[in-house]
Amino acid sequence: MPIRFFKPLAILLGVFLITSCGNSSEQDAALEPTRDNTQEVLDYYASHPNFFSFKTPEDIPNDLVWEDGMDLPDIGSPEAKKGGTQYGALQDFPRTLRLVGPDSNGSFRPFILDNVAMAMAHQHPNNQNDFYPGLAKSWAVSTQRKTTYIRLDPDARWSDGEKVTADDYLFAFFFFQSEYIIAPWYNNWYGSMYTNITRYDDYTISISIPDVKPNMHYRTLNLSPAPQHFYRELGDDYVARYQWRFVPTTGAYEVRKNDIRKVRSIALTRVKDWWAKDKKFWRYRYNPDKIHLSIIRDTPKVFEAFRRGDLDQFGLNLGEFWYEKLPDDDPDVQNGYIHKTVFYNQRPRPTFGLWMNTAKPLLDNRDIRIGINYATNWDLVIEKFFRGDFERLKTVSDGYGEFSHPTLEPRSFDIDKALAHFANAGFTDRGPDGILVNDRGQRLAFTLTTGYEALKDVLTILKEEAKKPGLEFRIEVLDGTAAWKKVQEKKHDIQFSAYAVALEMYPRYWETYHSVNAYDIAFLEDGSVNPDRKLKTQTNNLEAIAIPEVDDMINRYRSSSDKDEMIELANRLDETLHDHASFVPGYKQSFYRVGYWRWIRYPDGFNLKHSSSAGRYFVHWIDTDMKQETLAARKSGETFPVSIKVFDQYKGD
Amino acid sequence: MNPQTQKKLKRFREIKLGYYSFLLLCFLLVTSALGELLINNRALVVSYDGSLYFPTYAAFHPGTDFGLEYTYQTNYRELQKKFEAEDNGNWVLMPLVPYSPYENHSTDGIFRPSAPSVEHKHYFGTDTTSRDILARLFYGTRIALLFSLVFMASVYLIGITIGCAMGYFGGTFDLIFQRFIEIWSNIPFLYMVIIVFSIVPGTFSITARITILLVVMVLFSWTSMTYFMRTETYKQKARDYTAAARIIGAGHTRIIFKHILPNVLATLVTFMPFTVVGAIAAITALDFLGFGLPPPTPSLGELLKQGTANLRIAPWIVVSAFGTLVVLLTLVTFIGEAIRESFDPKKFTVYR
Repeated sequence: MPIRFFKPLAILLGVFLITSCGNSSEQDAALEPTRDNTQEVLDYYASHPNFFSFKTPEDIPNDLVWEDGMDLPDIGSPEAKKGGTQYGALQDFPRTLRLVGPDSNGSFRPFILDNVAMAMAHQHPNNQNDFYPGLAKSWAVSTQRKTTYIRLDPDARWSDGEKVTADDYLFAFFFFQSEYIIAPWYNNWYGSMYTNITRYDDYTISISIPDVKPNMHYRTLNLSPAPQHFYRELGDDYVARYQWRFVPTTGAYEVRKNDIRKVRSIALTRVKDWWAKDKKFWRYRYNPDKIHLSIIRDTPKVFEAFRRGDLDQFGLNLGEFWYEKLPDDDPDVQNGYIHKTVFYNQRPRPTFGLWMNTAKPLLDNRDIRIGINYATNWDLVIEKFFRGDFERLKTVSDGYGEFSHPTLEPRSFDIDKALAHFANAGFTDRGPDGILVNDRGQRLAFTLTTGYEALKDVLTILKEEAKKPGLEFRIEVLDGTAAWKKVQEKKHDIQFSAYAVALEMYPRYWETYHSVNAYDIAFLEDGSVNPDRKLKTQTNNLEAIAIPEVDDMINRYRSSSDKDEMIELANRLDETLHDHASFVPGYKQSFYRVGYWRWIRYPDGFNLKHSSSAGRYFVHWIDTDMKQETLAARKSGETFPVSIKVFDQYKGD
Repeated sequence: MNPQTQKKLKRFREIKLGYYSFLLLCFLLVTSALGELLINNRALVVSYDGSLYFPTYAAFHPGTDFGLEYTYQTNYRELQKKFEAEDNGNWVLMPLVPYSPYENHSTDGIFRPSAPSVEHKHYFGTDTTSRDILARLFYGTRIALLFSLVFMASVYLIGITIGCAMGYFGGTFDLIFQRFIEIWSNIPFLYMVIIVFSIVPGTFSITARITILLVVMVLFSWTSMTYFMRTETYKQKARDYTAAARIIGAGHTRIIFKHILPNVLATLVTFMPFTVVGAIAAITALDFLGFGLPPPTPSLGELLKQGTANLRIAPWIVVSAFGTLVVLLTLVTFIGEAIRESFDPKKFTVYR
């Protein structure tokens, strides 16, 4: 019989074996033969003549003021050396190499898209309102035409050697608007937020948007092309067909087929003769020749691998790592082998907090929601668990400068107020375990789900504190993907989660608060609530918020071109959402901390003002000589100067 | 009691290691049943304004019951200090370890592991969120023990019933059930746990979730028991004494329960402790992997996981969890060995 109970382990082993056997090339071969969509794309352009225009260079207006951002400061350090291999870790093997579509939004995507792929121009990481050139050479904004004109850099190449031309931009719109990619967000964004793309010649285009916005640059210049030659086989089987094909990139790193070792590791290689390697803003970045990412599921194991020197860097944001596991007096730190750095940044803050599903019973009651706000002791978590390093998040739009609400404060833990609001909702008596019950015998209990295994302790603290005002949280810790699936299907009660926010001028509200993202048909023609409405899944409106006034404000906000009006609307939206109380703001962090072996070098000021993490802009480099030296020194006991630094030049917001 | 059994029990008592392990385990079981009196943040006795309160097993007492301002559960440790300071005849008697397995009790203002300390009555130290390890170990072990005992009982009940029926009735019944068991035992157990837990609504209480876990584990564990039962029953059925019983006119029920089962049980009993060991190991492993008991239920697996994650900075976590597991499993194994030896039929029978 003992054998019987080793079975769970044996099966687990089996799971790993099975998943590691699925081979991509076999799957590829099994699909239908190649197809060619060239004609289909042309037909699509022809059937949408207002969206896709074809003109000649003579049609470009003469009164344009062209800019190229070349006077902005360079990014990175001229001292940076190219070469070496950077060793990092991922917690999950990427589920696909596609850039869009199901499962594409994982922790690997930044390496092949967000942090690496080039757009026409990018926000300067030291001043988000200035743009420096990427794939574009120069651009001109015409506000009265609501159009940005762009001259593309003819040097630009895809990583497979093909030229990046105007056609790839037109194709990008075809691609993102097509149903094949199974990505409704992209369909909506590229279908509704742009009105026209015009091709003047191979290297000149213009893009128009429906409304003039204060940050027109951001909306148009941040676009990236899609390689038309690569997507020639685009069709209904896109998801399967392109699952493990690396999309040619304009950026510095590509994934080579033999570097994909399913379940174990994946590596990126610096593109040979990358076209932008000598361009200003790009020349001192993306320095390592190779980035090797091992798959290590457990954070403690990742940390141990870092301590052994198998990984180069480790994020020390959590206090337990910064203060206990790698304290300042640790021998490796004191001997100067591992450097510790705190860097204060300025950028919109991820929205850590509790997201309540107002479509669930009880949570549809505002008193309950306000009560939950008062019953959640974030201050204790911040003070005792995060050791006062973090701050309380105030709204969902913190860190946007003037677009953030100036005075709004989140509700602090207050037992009496919580009890009063729960009482308003009919929960007046405490049951034998101290949890409130109403006269129908219903307990005041909710499931609190999270996908952040590493942060489950936060929830256990909140749970213990919530008992005081008679509220019960049932904690459910799921695998990251499973938790995300749960909220996307709107099956959660309360979710502890956060949206990563892009470096933008102003916050977005439509995705998270507009009723079209809450229900299929939220309201009837006459404006009344549709009694048969169904929750809309796969959207970011996690709170199922459907309030006509909010919709109205969001619509005006989206179409407004007046910055002051937008600020006013943003503030009013924040106030309305605060009153609605379906979000309990958690905490924010105005810095990041990182530990790294001394062979990882950073520029003098360490990093850039708007960087979200040390690796975001790839300004670091690997000193291979220093690596040899350090590894030898560890054996011989030789020491180096201690380096524990705080970079607070951007401390503020 | 028949002399055979008496002989076996006598022999079991003679095997000292197993016998004392058995006594110790029984003692642990009794202690854990009364655990709330030993490890708890509720007071044993409160004497307030002339009347006595026994909060341990009662419904919760809000602070207002003892002249405090809050309406939530009284913090008896603070109450004790308050009463001592006031010195007007009120007193509180706290259990030996005055902490619940759930509360975060930080000794230095930060939630982090703190080393064992007699002064703070954290005898085994605290875990990463400043919860008392002894309390979590104790209640975790209790759940694991209870879980494994219920698990064993259920597996044996189902396994013996079906296995015995298969062996005794044989024929088509046996054939069909054998095929069924073959198919059933090939369903991956861990997948089932994952699938079942993904569809169990989060609104279920912790007890309900533990029960579901138990049911799933039992459902996929009873099959192996049937193989032994089936062959054993076949063997006994062919023996002369069974034939004799039948000739006398005994019914199926009587033959199974009076004749076959007692003869088969001797072998089965020896498996029992190992099933318990297996169940404790399985629940701990599942917890370690994150598929077991929902947080913040105290569990050995969860403590082990914390311990391995904090091996360098808080070795006391892993030491206490691992130590407990080793002691528990060793005890049960010793008992198992002793039972196996004392119940070994070869010792008494002429059959070889």
